[in-house]
Formats: sequence, C-alpha cells, structure tokens
Amino acid sequence: MVRRQPTDPPPIDLLASVQGEVSWFCCGTAWGPCSTTGKGACGTCNSGSLQHAWPNTSDACWAITHPDTCGFNLSRRTCGFQHRITALCSGTSVVTAIADCGPQTDLFCGEKSCCGATCASNRLIDLTPAAYSKIASLSAGLRPCEISTP
Amino acid sequence: MTSRRQMLKSALLGGGASVVAATALGSLGPEAAFATAGAPEVEPGTVDPNFAEGRIRSIKDNTLLVLGSNMVFHNIRVVDGTSLWKLGPVPFEQAKPGDGLYARGVRMPDGVLAAEAVWLNIVNIKGHIKNITSDKIHLDHNGQEVLCHVVPGKSVAVHSESPPSADLSMLRVSQHVQILGAWRPDTNEVDIATVFSPH
Repeated sequence: MVRRQPTDPPPIDLLASVQGEVSWFCCGTAWGPCSTTGKGACGTCNSGSLQHAWPNTSDACWAITHPDTCGFNLSRRTCGFQHRITALCSGTSVVTAIADCGPQTDLFCGEKSCCGATCASNRLIDLTPAAYSKIASLSAGLRPCEISTP
Repeated sequence: MTSRRQMLKSALLGGGASVVAATALGSLGPEAAFATAGAPEVEPGTVDPNFAEGRIRSIKDNTLLVLGSNMVFHNIRVVDGTSLWKLGPVPFEQAKPGDGLYARGVRMPDGVLAAEAVWLNIVNIKGHIKNITSDKIHLDHNGQEVLCHVVPGKSVAVHSESPPSADLSMLRVSQHVQILGAWRPDTNEVDIATVFSPH
C-alpha cells in the first residue's frame, strides 16, 4: 500500500479541479452482465441514481485502483462526498455522490480520450448510467471531463 | 428559445405538436441530446426521476412498458425525435420485448417518461482478454466470462486517442479493455460496438 509522505505535494484535487477520463458503470439491481455487480463499496450504489465511483474512498480502495501509478495523488473522499463532473465535449455538468470504489485507474495509465482537440488522460471517475447520461450519451463510453467540488 | 424538454412535453401533451416537435428536435444525435436547461435539479446521490432502467415487458403503440430491475414499472413514450441505440442508431421497430434498456427523458405529470434517448441492451464492461480470435473476444469480467462478438461493419477498437479502427488485431490476450456493446438478452454474450484499449 502506498502512503503519502510529508514531503509529497498535496493531493491535486484539494487545490483545483482535475481533468481526466470519465466512463460509466452499472450497479445495484440490474439486467445482463450487470446483474451480479451489487451495490458497491458504500452499499448504496444504484444505476438510476446520481452517483459515482472514486479511486480513493479508503486504503483498501486505493490498494486496488492505484491512481498514483499514473501520477495522480487524489484526495481521500468517502461515501456520499459530492463532485461536479463537467464533460469537456459538451460543457454540461452533473453533481454526483460517491457510492463505490473505482475506476481501476492503474490498468489504463496513459490512456487519452478526446473530442476534437479537447483531450484528457487517465481514468479518474466512473458515473452511474443515470449520471453519465446527463452529460453524454451512454453510447460514447469514454469521455474527457473535469472534476471539481460543487 | 424552446428547449428540448419543452418540445418533448409538447410532443406528449398533444395539440398537434408531436410531429413538429420531433422535427424541430432534429436528428438527436447521441451527443446532441443532453440539453437539460429548465429541468429541476435532482439531489446528488438520489434516484433521478428522469431516468429509467429495466427490461421491456411489452410494447403498445409508441410506449414501452418496462419492468425495472427494482421491480418498478415504467411507461416510456417514444416520440419521433427520440434517439434509439442498439449497437448503433436504430428505428423504434428494433425495440423488442426482453430487451434491457436505459432511458433518459422528461417525467410527465402522469408518470410517463417522455424519452429523449433510449439505449437498448447497452453494456459497458471492463475486464481482461482471456482469448481472442478474428471474430470473438473472451472477456473475463469480474470472474465471469462474457463472449463478445465482432460484428463486421459495426465493431471498432479505440487505442487511446487514436481514431476508431475496424482493425481489432492489435488487441492482445491478458490486456485490460473496456467493451461497449449490445447484450444478447438472456445470454452471457455481447455484440461489440467499441473496444477501448489504453495502448
């Protein structure tokens, strides 16, 4: 497990918004391959609610997602904490609450998604279908975004 | 300026507005369908009343009767301007009983969801490739194998910021990918729309 040392820079999203990739995932009662997903790390996750997964909800979560591998020292945010996610393609935003741990940032290190000349790298957040569909089409499975606090 | 939501309401509330509204709404390409100005804010973390998920139980005229996975029924009205997706844009006739769906629109006072967009059988799953052939990817998704079919003319791979390519030959066994596709109802099989690969 990786712990921050006193000399490390502060987590970036304490100081300013951060840009990365956003995708969507299903949770809660569901159909198809999602039917076995469950209610997430917080026990409240539901595809129809305005929620998201965050890579640093606990030590155990961080040990799975490891955004530091991609150079991100994201702040610890726990269940219910709210973020504003703005789609860089459309400029539309949605405010959602943490309901799960994820995405597994380290498995997609360096990945970049773009719309036109607007790009962002690394998977930092996953939205429920209800939340993602407020800012992009579900058929666009990956988009650049900006993450901030509301 | 009339918002999309107002047009959808007009389309449902009659007054001869439906066809006009649908035309004015335009082609409703997936990226164009998300203007929500004027919609009341939904509390973060809570259920969004303007969204529905579930499986189609029956279809009557332009209305989908959908049983949510939480056992709540939804009546989802499709108007001429509604965009439907099933491995790509499709006409209303492609919606079938048994299909899973997500829908976003405007919840009307009578409880009907006037749909802006309906995504039929859409799944977006991550996992690692256990095996790959020219026409199939065996994906390990949370310990369960999902058989993903390459559909000629439809399936593409996106390698990071590179443009989508119909050539899936750069994908490799054991690598992690995200597969967006259309579930084949009541199976563990998916038709591939896009494979997102970080490399």
